[in-house]
Amino acid sequence: MLEKVVVDLASLNIVSISPMLIAIIGALAILCIDLVTKNLNKSFYTILTILFILVDLGAVIGYKGEVRGFFDVMLIDGISILSQSIILIASALFIPLALSTKRFHEFTYPEFFALFLFMISGFQFMISTDNLILIFVGLETASLSLYTLIALHNRMKSFEAAIKYFTMGAFAAGFYSFGCMILYALTGSVELNGIFSVLSERQFEPMILVLTALIFLIGAFGFKLSIVPFHTWTPDVYEGSSAALAGYMSIVPKVAGFVVIMRIFEFFVASGIVWLEYVLYAFVVITMTLANILALVQEDVKRMLAFSSISHAGFVLAGILIGTTQSNSALFIYWIMFLFTNLGAFTMLWVSRHKNAIFHNRFDHPYTKFAGMIKIMPVGAVIMGVFMLSLAGVPPFSLFWGKMYMLSSAVNAGYIGLALIMALNSAIAAYYYLKLIVYMFLKEPVENDHTIYIKNASNPLKTIIGFSAIVTIFSIFIMNPLIEIATKYVEISGF
Amino acid sequence: MEQILTILVFFPAIAGMLGFIVKSDSIKVYGITVTLVEFMLSLWLWLSFDSSVAGMQFEHFFPIISNYGINYHVGVDGISLFLVILTTFMTFIAIVGLSEERALKNLILSILFLEMTMVAVFVILDAVIFYLFWELSLVPMLYIIGAWGASLRIYAAVKFFLYTFTGSLIMLIGILFMGYIYHEATGVWSFSLLDWHMLVLPFNMQLWLFVAFFLGFAIKVPMFPFHTWLPYAHGQAPTIGSVILAAVLLKMGTYGFVRFSLPLFPDASVYFVMPIAILSLIMIIYTAMVAYAQEDMKQVIAYSSVSHMGVIVLGTFALNVEGIGGSIFLMISHGIVSGALFMLVGVIYDRRHTKYMREFGGLASVMPKYATITGIMVMASVGLPLTMGFVGEFLSLLGFYKVSPIMTILAGSSIILGAIYMLSLFKKSFFGEVVKEENKNLEDLNYKELSALVPLVLIVVWLGVYPKPVLKPIDNSVKHLVDLMEKKSVTKDAKEFIVSVNKVGEGK
Repeated sequence: MLEKVVVDLASLNIVSISPMLIAIIGALAILCIDLVTKNLNKSFYTILTILFILVDLGAVIGYKGEVRGFFDVMLIDGISILSQSIILIASALFIPLALSTKRFHEFTYPEFFALFLFMISGFQFMISTDNLILIFVGLETASLSLYTLIALHNRMKSFEAAIKYFTMGAFAAGFYSFGCMILYALTGSVELNGIFSVLSERQFEPMILVLTALIFLIGAFGFKLSIVPFHTWTPDVYEGSSAALAGYMSIVPKVAGFVVIMRIFEFFVASGIVWLEYVLYAFVVITMTLANILALVQEDVKRMLAFSSISHAGFVLAGILIGTTQSNSALFIYWIMFLFTNLGAFTMLWVSRHKNAIFHNRFDHPYTKFAGMIKIMPVGAVIMGVFMLSLAGVPPFSLFWGKMYMLSSAVNAGYIGLALIMALNSAIAAYYYLKLIVYMFLKEPVENDHTIYIKNASNPLKTIIGFSAIVTIFSIFIMNPLIEIATKYVEISGF
Repeated sequence: MEQILTILVFFPAIAGMLGFIVKSDSIKVYGITVTLVEFMLSLWLWLSFDSSVAGMQFEHFFPIISNYGINYHVGVDGISLFLVILTTFMTFIAIVGLSEERALKNLILSILFLEMTMVAVFVILDAVIFYLFWELSLVPMLYIIGAWGASLRIYAAVKFFLYTFTGSLIMLIGILFMGYIYHEATGVWSFSLLDWHMLVLPFNMQLWLFVAFFLGFAIKVPMFPFHTWLPYAHGQAPTIGSVILAAVLLKMGTYGFVRFSLPLFPDASVYFVMPIAILSLIMIIYTAMVAYAQEDMKQVIAYSSVSHMGVIVLGTFALNVEGIGGSIFLMISHGIVSGALFMLVGVIYDRRHTKYMREFGGLASVMPKYATITGIMVMASVGLPLTMGFVGEFLSLLGFYKVSPIMTILAGSSIILGAIYMLSLFKKSFFGEVVKEENKNLEDLNYKELSALVPLVLIVVWLGVYPKPVLKPIDNSVKHLVDLMEKKSVTKDAKEFIVSVNKVGEGK
């Protein structure tokens, strides 16, 4: 006979899922509006989406309720609030890229914006829980929406990208469910803290099964975070999707993935299972180095940025490996800094996007397209140069501070060797970012027509570029509050 | 004028930012005016500088990332004062003598930004902010070499950037580690150099931190075997790029030794005296020989630069007042002399579009003024007494004599070797018959070139005859530095070494 389940509305703490509900309601609202009136302009949907995201952000930041909610499934702790805010701010900054002057297929569908909001709610669920099943649900909601968003770009390459991403994502999902299954079989719990307490009671025996489960989980998140050797989809997917979406993909899904990894792995890293440290160490080093070397030989700026974002993911993974409060807050600071730089860089690519490939029969943004840009469009070249220098880690631009804080956390935790490897990798990476600068500043222009770089530019897009450039240049002044906030939130969540 | 250092740092940058508005036909005069004002400001700094004080003056403090101990903190002492003046002066002179026509506006604005980073490196007292400007100085230089250089310019520019960037990243780890140690020792985060001076480090830690900082500085100097980027950078850079590179950018490395390596790691400095001295000797002798083998005038001067930088490093690591003071003086004089020599090569390159010595000969009869000024600068570069080059070189070698007489004698060969390659350059280009038809009607120095070069000649002679106004403030601060090193050293050997090399000639 089943026990009677009594649910008290107060203990349900429905407020804890209100941010996600806002995103979902927003998505449904967009679909309903589309049912009633057709032919609304994309600007309407874009602004509506931004408004819902802002309300969502307000609900996240203003959240004052219990840490636990909704049958104990939700976990709104410090890192959840912090990462939700990063994701929402990133989304609010990326979605206006739809307001380009050229008409692109995907933005004519209201479904694009609805899917976008569904995706955000998926990410929010994923990072606000320690229940393996809800993580899975959130992850898949977000991923399925993202596959569709990529395919909506409606070019041959985008279909290829979407299907590649989908196949790899399906693999990852399989890996993930295998890993969870083993953990459940071992401990009888799908809650992370339940799993942890059972495992530590038993001293991680049987070790071989714990190892298998973790390998599956690393594989699953390796795909999502594009850790080498699970990275092969990344450059093709970036190439196939629009620059706007590629930029979005380089930030938001990874932030979400890293939060989940932090939740799962910090416990195991801290428990002193030696091999996990070695495995992560190897992943960090291989991901940084291999991606850097592959990025050196790319001919297309977007593919180069894809490999560079793999390398940055490896760099950030070091934060998980180090596992101190400083390294975990460095991880968030790094993503915030990365967000503004990448937003700017991908938007620069986006505004220079043409309907037809005129510079190269395959790539939209080959290096040669930017040759001599300083002579044709000095301000644009300087701004793009700033973004590249920031990615390379040249001070005082934003990503340097992320890098510095991460390196410092490595040094402070005694990982001097790792810090040296990270530093040398930054030096290798400088070469391919310089390559674009060399093309822009030191080569002669191919054709003297400045409109090629702003074919797709509209005032909102220019504003976004200017905004991210300003944040990138003056980031030194936001470091102090950032360190304070990140450390505070990470600390109260116990990482 | 408490904020004069901050004004000195940011005035060129703000002028550079606003310079985007100035139209390109007026940009050269704009550049000259801005750098002249900056130079005047630095002279004012000298006038209001109290040379009896050994410590930092005009200090200014502004918290930036106070949670992590990173603050904007500037100050100047006898060691950095003249490097600041050298920077502002040479930038001004370089723009006055500028003969470039292509994309002039971009060039001038890059130089203004470069001037900000150079001045900042010499006055910033916070390690992270120091690193910030240190790295930032690469960017305008990359653009200057890469955009206005000769045919291999892109290769040279990228090599220059990557080489120095790699070295300084390792230095960054050293900086972060110092911050960590300071935090461990005191419980607060600080990257301030003056705070770090209080810190006494165990010997082993000093050793590897010294190496981390050394890599950053040595690549910049450039020390053998990290010097290979320099001939390319000089050979390909436009005249103004070479002038600033030789006059100021290289000095950042040696300044780093004096400001960071010596006071922070006294025991490691003593420990590494011999290896560094051997590297410096190789630099001095080997690159002097390479210089003699060059056919390109600019390459001769580029290699002679490396050779002279060897003397500077040797003097620094004599670890006594004469040696360090002499090496700082030599930094100034090398800045002025090599800057002048690169400008002189630029003059002839503008007229003939070649730098090969075999293309010239007998220029003395065609261009007497040019030959005279070149002659004086060649003598100063060799280190003839009563020129500026002599004072610094003599003091540096004198300082090192107390460490090792034999090595000093070997290093003294730099004067002889320098005389050989410089005089042969002078002979090949200026003496003899005018063989080439094109050389017969060359125009002598015009007013623009004279107005850039004559002040340099005057300074070379003035400070060669009477170096005291510069030496005295340097001396005070260096004494302070040596005292600090002695107090901070933890091993007995190091203490004895520092005392012994400083014993003679103190006049006690």
